[in-house]
Amino acid sequence: MSGTNNIEDALSSYIIGRDTVKPNRPRFHIDAGNLKSAIALLKQCLGDEALYLSNIIGVDKVAEGVIELNYFIHVVPLGNTIVIRVTVPRDKPQVSSLIDVIPGALSGECEAYDLLGVEFIGNRYLRRGFFVPVDVASRGVFPLRKDAKV
Amino acid sequence: MSIVREALKNLLSKPATIEYPKKPVPIEKDFRGRHYADLRKCTGCTLCAIECPSNCITMEKLPENAKLKHNPRGLYPNIRYMSCVFCYRCVRVCPVDAYVTTNEYRLSSVKEVFSKELTLQTLG
Amino acid sequence: MENGMVEKATSIIKIPVTLEIPIGPQHPALHEPVLLKIYADGEEVVGVEIGTGYNHRGIEKLLENNTFYKGKFIASRVCGICNAVHENCFVRAVEYLVGMKPSPRAEYLRVLVMELERLHSHMLINAIMAEIIGFDTLFMYIMRDRELVMKAKEIVAGNRVSADFHMFNGVRRDIDDVKRDKLIDLLRRVEPRLKYYRKLFEDDPTISKRLTEIGVLKAKDVTSYGMLGPVLRGSGIKSDARAEDRYDAYNEIPFNVVVRGEGDSLARMLVRWDEALESLEMCKYILEHLPSGPAAVDERKLPRTFPAGESFARVEAPRGELTYYIQHAGGNKPYRVKVRTPSLNNIINSGFSYLGHSVADVPVILVSYDPCISCMERAIIVDLKNKVEKRATLREIAMKEVRL
Repeated sequence: MSGTNNIEDALSSYIIGRDTVKPNRPRFHIDAGNLKSAIALLKQCLGDEALYLSNIIGVDKVAEGVIELNYFIHVVPLGNTIVIRVTVPRDKPQVSSLIDVIPGALSGECEAYDLLGVEFIGNRYLRRGFFVPVDVASRGVFPLRKDAKV
Repeated sequence: MSIVREALKNLLSKPATIEYPKKPVPIEKDFRGRHYADLRKCTGCTLCAIECPSNCITMEKLPENAKLKHNPRGLYPNIRYMSCVFCYRCVRVCPVDAYVTTNEYRLSSVKEVFSKELTLQTLG
Repeated sequence: MENGMVEKATSIIKIPVTLEIPIGPQHPALHEPVLLKIYADGEEVVGVEIGTGYNHRGIEKLLENNTFYKGKFIASRVCGICNAVHENCFVRAVEYLVGMKPSPRAEYLRVLVMELERLHSHMLINAIMAEIIGFDTLFMYIMRDRELVMKAKEIVAGNRVSADFHMFNGVRRDIDDVKRDKLIDLLRRVEPRLKYYRKLFEDDPTISKRLTEIGVLKAKDVTSYGMLGPVLRGSGIKSDARAEDRYDAYNEIPFNVVVRGEGDSLARMLVRWDEALESLEMCKYILEHLPSGPAAVDERKLPRTFPAGESFARVEAPRGELTYYIQHAGGNKPYRVKVRTPSLNNIINSGFSYLGHSVADVPVILVSYDPCISCMERAIIVDLKNKVEKRATLREIAMKEVRL
């Protein structure tokens, strides 16, 4: 677990909380504004070939009025996936795009925008109808939001 | 890979495919094929209809003349094979193991196929 | 016009003729519904747009609205060819929530099904590659021999493709000695063929001339664009969820992680052949060292509800790392399920890799990523204007009996 500690040390100035996703994925909570700089720092510390962005998972929490964004980053030397969580308000879900730090964020960001309506500032490729059929997209419905009518 | 050799070899050998409608396809005995409820065991508990992932089981009333002591509600499952995905969830959740399983895979048809007839045959 | 005027011209304006070529969603060379809109300057590709959305079925939303037990069967229908890994990943994500541990025999059998699946999936994509480069004889041969593996899967799981083999806390059926001998015999027949194809891909001039140096990916690009699986390992990054997470019985079964450094299309195909041979060895090991004990679980005795929590399971699908994330707030339905399949990263992010190649190379490069669009596009609803779901047969739609 020493590798995880190194990551935690490197990101220590950004971390505002931590927990674990089962079975053993350490999760660091950071502020939405710091996301890009934290990931850039992580990439700088570990090197280009040591990590890839595996997942961007948005969860719509209606009760709390937020959308959680979990960035699952796979660290190859560690052999494990670490998670960075940011929360954005539900009525104005905006977060800075990672596309210029990690180009592989494209697929995850396009999907999260199309299905959940999280806007990634700086990503020029976001568009409705990426996955969603035109009739749903044209009504402005984000299907994976909990209040979307299915 | 030499094309001449392969061509000669294939000209002299039998085809690898099975001429299906003329010859049967060899199939395993426990292949997940057509299944239906056995009314001698079924209690009409509706669990299979609740658990079916593709919602293809509907519970129907037994015919008037059939009175089964172990089936007080008089219901039996009718599987719509056209929507069935043959996951056998119904077979496994059945509390009384009432389902009869076969390896019959030739179910294609131009009209809807149901398990009703097969199930009612089990009344004897 | 005076001649003097012409001599004074100092520059010529060149207008590049960029041609837009749509490849797909229906294309003889692509077996999947995806649109590659290619901008070509002459024969050279200068820009690629990837159009998606042809195969969206709403599986993530569907999983949220169904119980875990129904969800298990829905998950295994995300993709046809890699259904066992999908259900394994879903089942394991749920098992992490509960803290269940299946019996050793069940774990071995799960690995057996997944490795058989990897074997036939790798054979399929190599066959398609052979077809795309115009080597149809090889395509037919590989498909013929793939049939043996499908038969093996039928013996273990009860169906050629859709295994439906996993269940929470175990598997759904067991194998006996008769079946084991049949399986060993089938694998013995597949082995020489696999070795022959592996050698053919390496030595045959037709294949190597078409695939070497095509679609070269550097290790740095591969990680930053988040490419997965054989693409990643074909470019020299040693990352394999089986070796990293050691889930199920992978901590006991010996296997090597295949890595090649060249990064071109041929390297990716050879990684697949080597992995197929590794899978074959693993299957044989499993059949010889199958632990005794119970494997099949009684589905009637499993819990109806699961404790709340979050879990993230990874599995090495034939196409790369497949992940399931489950957030559960208690009860019998998950709050959020996120499926991220390898093709999502491999295909959508792959736009950069076509640049500079000729138009004819595009299908070759795409196939070398092993695209699986039904995997990639899951998450949307059947939602009509009046907000109700309707079911209609294709015939009714064709005869206009149903208003869409």
